[in-house]
Formats: sequence, structure tokens, C-alpha cells
Amino acid sequence: MAMQQQEDSAPAMPGHEPVAAHEGAAGTEGHSGGMPQFDFAQWPGQIAWFLIVFFGLLLFVRFFAAPKVGGTIELRETKIADDIAQARQLKSEADAQAEAAATDRARSRAEANKLAQESKAKARAEVAERLAAEEAKLAETTATAEAAIAQARSKAMTNVGDIAQQTALAIVEKLTGRAASAGESAAIKAGRG
Amino acid sequence: MAEQPAIEPMHQFLIHKLVQGPVFQIGGVNFDMSITNSVASMLVGAALIVVFFLTTARGSIVPNRAQAVVEALYNIVDRILVTPIIGHHGRPYIPYLFTLFMVIAVLNLMGVVLAFGNLAGQSWTFTVTSQLAVTATLAVLTFFSVFILGFIKHGPKFLTLFAPSGMPPALLVFMVPIEMLSYFVRPITLAMRLFGNMLGGHVVMSLFGSFVVALGIVALSGGVATLALIPSVLSFAMIVALTGLELVVAILQAFVFTALATVYLNEVVNFGHGH
Repeated sequence: MAMQQQEDSAPAMPGHEPVAAHEGAAGTEGHSGGMPQFDFAQWPGQIAWFLIVFFGLLLFVRFFAAPKVGGTIELRETKIADDIAQARQLKSEADAQAEAAATDRARSRAEANKLAQESKAKARAEVAERLAAEEAKLAETTATAEAAIAQARSKAMTNVGDIAQQTALAIVEKLTGRAASAGESAAIKAGRG
Repeated sequence: MAEQPAIEPMHQFLIHKLVQGPVFQIGGVNFDMSITNSVASMLVGAALIVVFFLTTARGSIVPNRAQAVVEALYNIVDRILVTPIIGHHGRPYIPYLFTLFMVIAVLNLMGVVLAFGNLAGQSWTFTVTSQLAVTATLAVLTFFSVFILGFIKHGPKFLTLFAPSGMPPALLVFMVPIEMLSYFVRPITLAMRLFGNMLGGHVVMSLFGSFVVALGIVALSGGVATLALIPSVLSFAMIVALTGLELVVAILQAFVFTALATVYLNEVVNFGHGH
């Protein structure tokens, strides 16, 4: 308190007139190198006020600011982690489905290929079978026709022999003026043979 | 020349009363609870911090700019200091360290940002953290909270802190006093570091500010004295540069104080886990 009594009597600082009335004794000492910070009369009040202010703020930060800010940061990180995990799970599900679809497709394709192969083989077999049948029929027809031709030819050849005999007999008759004897006829027939 | 203002770099640290308050006498010590310029600055700083948190701390998943700022500040304490240094056991102490950081940073910054008031000889600006009473309170409060927490958590075993393990008993005679000295000097270094940084910066700025005015007045007398304008302008440039430096120092000292508090706290929380 001694300091404060001195305060009022302290001479005003040049250039600081507006506040001169409040300036402490340390001001005059400060001029000669003393520091106002070591005016210990000011310490208790300042310390008490600072502790009040500091603890007030500590309570405010402890029960409002820190939980709010820290909680939000934590909440955000949890949410991001959750979202990523969820996205990962969805992706793996989608991958599994894609894989299943690919397997399905491969199987269907194999089935289709097999079916195509089978029907092709079947068609080919059928074609071969029918071709064979047709060929057999054709061969039969050809054989029949050939037989008929051969028969016709041999018949025709027989007729040719008869014609030649009769022609020979007619020639003989014309040349000799008489019909050929039995011996001659036989010779003609034999000659032919 | 008679009008030249005296160069008084310490004047800015003077405490004067704004509103007379009650005076309590406890144990022979007078607690004068008057609102001084120092107390007013504390209250303004506290109000700024409260308003800052109320307006920026939203619980939004997608933060806006203000929320991003408050979260970045929180992460200075959480992600840069507490989690790397102490680990998850350090979580309960984040509110204290965060308060420490915010209080020191805001009071430091108020001193720099409003410092032009000092240059103009006004007394409505005040750097609370340039008061040894305040920095000592912070340091002692932090140091002894940590020290007492050590005893609460570990009991008398905590005193083995002063006896490094694996030390030959003969050497312990020397080591224990040295360790104790280095331990109990901590609050003093904490207090003096912050006090000295804030004091030094403001004294230098105030000196250069006085040069600007004093040399300017000299220059006004005309003639050769006009040359005094050159150092006057250079001094002004120095103030601009120093203001930038002081802004860095203001934040840095808040960080350093908080970081050291975290390191001291780590010794207690992870006591006996080898460090």
C-alpha cells in the first residue's frame, strides 16, 4: 500500500499526461533502471486475478472447448474410417459379384460351345449317314441299270448273230442260186460261233 | 529540445489502477483486487478466448474456415505435442495444456498487435506475459501440478526420479543433488524464458519507437539536423521488422512453454517406463 500512496505524488511523465495520475512509484524508479515487474506490491493482486482468469478459462476449455473441438476431430476421423471400411466392404462385395458373373459367363460359354459342338457333330453324322444312304441307293440303281444294259446288249448281240446267219444264208442263196444245205447252214452257224 | 519525450522503455510495463477494488489481507499479504491495466488485459484476453471458442468450435464434420483454425490449434497440442510425447495416456491433460497454450498465445499476441498503443505513449495496451508475476504463476502452477501429480500417481517411489538407475552408489551422492537442482530450476527457467522474451522484444520496440519520435523532433529544427530524419526512418523500418519477429516469438513462446510442460508431464505419466 505504501507504493500506492506514493503513486499520487509521483511526478507526471512527460508525454504521458493522460495517465500520469495513475502511474506508480515504479515509474519514477523505472526511469533510473528499475523494472516495474519487480514492484512486488503489485504481485499478490496480479497473481490472484491471473489465477481466477486462468482457472475460469481452464474450466471453460475442460468442459466446453476441448471436448467440442477434440470430439469433433475424433468424430470426423471415426466417420472417415467407417466410410472407408464400408466402401472397402462394398468394393469387395462388388468384386465377388463380378467374379461370380465372370464364372457364370465362362460356364455358359462352355455349355454353349459344347452344345454347338454336339449339334455340329450330330448334323455331320446325319449328313454322312444320308449321304451314305443316297450313295447306296445310287449304286443300286446304277447296278440295276448296268444289268439291264448288259442284258439288252447280250440280247442285241444274239439278234445280231441271227441277222448275220440269215444274211449269210441269203448271200449264199443269192450267190449259188440255191438254198444252203444243212451242212452249210451248220457251218455258218459254227462260223459265227 | 526541451519538448523531447524521455526515452522510457520500461514505462509500458507500469501497472496502474483503472477501478479500485477490495483489498484482502491474507497472512500479512495485501491482495489488492483492483482492476489494473494488467488485470483488464487478462480479462480482455480471456473474453477473446471465450468468444473465439464459442464462435469457432462447431461440431461439423465438414469444417468451415473458423472451425479449421480452432481444430488446427487443438492439434498443435494434441497431435504435435501430447500424442507423440506422452501417448494416449496423455489425453486427460490436453485441456490444461490447451488452456496454457491459448492463454499464453493470446496474451502474447495482444501485446504485439496492440503494441502501437505503447509507442504512442498510451496505457490502454498491456502485455500481461511481460509481467514476471504472471509468468512465474504459470510456471509454478504448471511445475507443481506436475510434481504433485507424480506423487499422486506413484507415491514415494516418484522420488527415485532423482536417482538415475544403474548409477554406482558412490556417485549418487553427487548425482542426486545435481538432479534435484536441475529439476527444481525448471519453474524458474519456464518463468524467466517467457518473461524475458516478451520483455526484451517490447523494450527493443519501445526504444526504436522513441528514436523515431526523438530523432524526428531533432530533424524538425532544420539545417544539418534534418539528416536525423534518416535514422528516424530506419528506426521505423526496424519497428516494422521487429513486429513481424515478435509475432513469431509470441506464438513460439506459447508453443515452447506448452511443449516443456508436456515433456515434464511425460516424465510423470510414463514414469518408470524408461525414458
